[in-house]
This record gives sequence, C-alpha cells and structure tokens, in this order.
Amino acid sequence: MTDAADIIVAGGGSAGIAAALAAARAGARTVLLERQSTLGGMGSHALVHTFCGLYHPDVSQGPRFLNGGIAEEIGLEMMRRTGQTGPDLMGRVYVLRQHPTLFAGLADELCRAEGNLKRVSGAEWVALTREDGGWRIEMMNQGLRRTLKCRAVVDTTGDATGARLLNPALCEQAEGARLYRPAYVCVFHEVRPLTDDNWRLTLGAAIVRAVKEGRLPGAAMGSGFRASPFAGEVFLTIDLEAGEAHWDPFDPVKRAQVEEEGRGTALALWRFLRAEQARFQGCPPPMLPAQAGIRESARYRGDYVITGEDLAASRQFEDNVALAGWPMEKRENARGPKFRYFDRPEPAGIPARCLKNSGVPGLFFAGRCLSADHEALASLRVMGTCMATGEAAGKLAVDFVAGR
Amino acid sequence: MPPAEISAAHVIDLLIDQQIVDPSEPLTAESDLFACGMDSLAMMQLLLHLERVFAVRVQPEEMTRERFATAGKLAEWLTGRKSIPV
Repeated sequence: MTDAADIIVAGGGSAGIAAALAAARAGARTVLLERQSTLGGMGSHALVHTFCGLYHPDVSQGPRFLNGGIAEEIGLEMMRRTGQTGPDLMGRVYVLRQHPTLFAGLADELCRAEGNLKRVSGAEWVALTREDGGWRIEMMNQGLRRTLKCRAVVDTTGDATGARLLNPALCEQAEGARLYRPAYVCVFHEVRPLTDDNWRLTLGAAIVRAVKEGRLPGAAMGSGFRASPFAGEVFLTIDLEAGEAHWDPFDPVKRAQVEEEGRGTALALWRFLRAEQARFQGCPPPMLPAQAGIRESARYRGDYVITGEDLAASRQFEDNVALAGWPMEKRENARGPKFRYFDRPEPAGIPARCLKNSGVPGLFFAGRCLSADHEALASLRVMGTCMATGEAAGKLAVDFVAGR
Repeated sequence: MPPAEISAAHVIDLLIDQQIVDPSEPLTAESDLFACGMDSLAMMQLLLHLERVFAVRVQPEEMTRERFATAGKLAEWLTGRKSIPV
C-alpha cells in the first residue's frame, strides 16, 4: 500500500482527533494513523475519565470554554451524552467528567462524518523520511510494512515518535526521577450509591489502614476514586512510583513491570473492597485499561519552548494559536499532585512556534509532545488543552500544504 | 521517639516536611488545605504521617473534609480525641 495524502496525523488521541478533524474540515485529504484499535488515546485506552483544561481559569465567572472550536464541540457533546449539566468545581478549577467508551464512540462519529478523512488503525509508525519535498511514513501492520506519502505530518503520538525516527536531537526527555508518574486506571461496576460527601476520604483512610497492616500492597497508597457520571460505576486511579528514578516510558521491560504492578494493585484493591467495604460487596472484577496512562515521555524542541514561567505569568504571544488554563499539576511521585497555579486567574497563550520547528518544515506537533519545558508540560498535557493544540497544529498543516 | 505534641504548627511542619502540600504562600493555621492542592491522595499521606508522628489512630469513618479543612481545625479535633488508644 502506497497512498498519497495531504496530511498524515500520527496518533489518534485527543490531540490527533482534533488535528485530523481540523485538517479534513479545511479540505485537506487527511489520514489519521492509530496504533491501537480505538481512538481517544489516554481518554479511551488508559481510561482517563476527566477532561481538564477545557475551561477558563477564572472560576468566579462560572464555567466558560477556554478555546472554543473542537475542544468545546467535544466538551458539549460529552456533557450531553453523559447527562451532565456542567463541569465539577474541583478545588480552584473546573473539570468535566468524561466517559472513555463514549469518547471512543464520539471520535468515530466525528471522523466518519468527514469524507476527506481516512483512518488507519493497528499501525505502528516505524520510519519517517523526507521525499520529493514531502514526507514518507512507514508503518508496520501485523508484520507487513506499508508506506504512506504526504505533504505535511502532524505528530500527536504523545511520545515525539517522529522526532525519534527522524532525528532524536529534535526531542528531549526529563530524567527518570522527574518524569510525571504513570497512572493505572480501572473501572468498578455495581458499586452501591455513594451518598455521603466524605466517601473518598473514608475509603482512602481504610486503604491507609490496610497498607499499614500489610493487607494491601504499598502501591495502593496511590489510589484515588472518582464517581462516573453513570450510577454504579466508579473509576479507580492508581498513581504508580514506577521504579522512581529508574522509570523510562520507552523501556519495554519497565513498561511491562508498570502494567503488571497496576493490574496487581487493582486486583488486590478489588478483593479488599469487596471484603471490607459494603458498597463494593457486589462488584465484579474491575475492567482494566488497555494500557497505563502515561503523563510524560519525550517532547519536541520547537522554535519556542514554552516554560512554566510563561504560563504562571499568563504570557501572551503574537503567534498565539491556543490558550492554556489548567494549573501546572506536577506528579513527580505517586503521593499526590503538587499544583502551581497561574499568578492571576487568566489564561496563557500557546504560540504556533511550540508546534513546529523551522528546521523541519511540514512537520508539526501537538498534544503531550509539543515544545514545552517539564514544568509547563504539567499544565499542557491535559486532554482539553491537547484538543486545542491538536486543532491548531492541524490548521498549521493545512496552511503549509496550501503554501500559506 | 515520643509522640510530638499536637498543635497547628506541628501539623503545618508535617505538611511541609513530607511535601504533602506545596503551597504558593506560607501555610497558616487557617489556610484552606484543599485550596492548597490537597486531594484524597495527599490526604492518605497526611493520615499516614499523622498517625506516626502524633501516635493517634484515626478511624476511616472519622474522615471528613471539615476536620481536615485547615491545620488549626485538624489539630483542635485531634487534641480533643487523643485519649483513644493507638
């Protein structure tokens, strides 16, 4: 298979969905390449069940969408499909609960509606080369190598895969000790109604007790619970230390260890909750994710590297293409987030220069692998912001193909 | 080591030393801990260290947002119930 497209978007997560939709809607022949079988990225495979970064950081005015466009479109549709009337106020920020299954379904519908958009799934991206002024992408699909050609590439893999294939000097990665920790999310069903406001704290304290008494593994200390918008369903998120300084999201052995630890902890918690917590007595085993949620791996070095200081100062740029409003939610360990809020409740700009590098014209990047420092990534990695940077990168790719 | 005396100042020391919260401004006995970023995960860490440092035992059903809202409220509540044996 050698196919020609105007734009190839690699990675079908929240950034890639938005990038592909933006490109196809602008008339570009677009291919969306996905390694797994469903779209949604962390929001479907890893069961991440909140859209963060969708709303203006000034909560005193009530919830207001920050970016409009595809982020707002998906946010509103998710609200409708989950029967929510608005987001939840969590501390000083608004969060919209989302449902991973509905996100995958919504992504299918939105993509199917675009005649210019073709989806390829189960395809691992294995090579990127310059050819005839455009790009040649190779992928592996069930042992078969296939080639796709295009004018522009948008890398929304979250891992800067294109940079690692083309020239690793185009990307960077924080050292293992600082990388934001992975999260293992699973779903419990048939949980009896959670009526009192303190259920999360009560459960947390019961887990602390059980860990101290050796009845649960220490990794259970990373547990957090959130009720789904659907009755009887509860998400359990386990932040994992993942080998602390030895964590490397690109090491397949360490990845396997993290997945195994996540599964083991989830199942230990299931047995514990069923035995000791009345609300969980009737729960079947939890549904497991296709993979652990990765918060940080590698990201591009673009023409500009946006910093934590830029975000804290709500800095605006002449070439703003999206807005960030989520605080820097740093999770360098599994003992809870450390939040750095913006100095003022005003959004910060994200410049186009963070989504491209003039040394590689026609290659754009967005989502978790945009050009940001480690601190800024703690804000920009969330799905609402990924949709906004993805849409912006899709539009930049369209302009590039059109010679603008 | 004998248990530390329960006070708002000691609770604040614990919150900072164990990096349970990382506030942008100095913590006081009245600071809203949840607004400082304390979530259920941080609360579990706090509980672990509270029980160790102050030699208290908190029952799961005693956990409420009100009791953990500030270092002052937490110290006051723990002092009032300290007679419960470890």
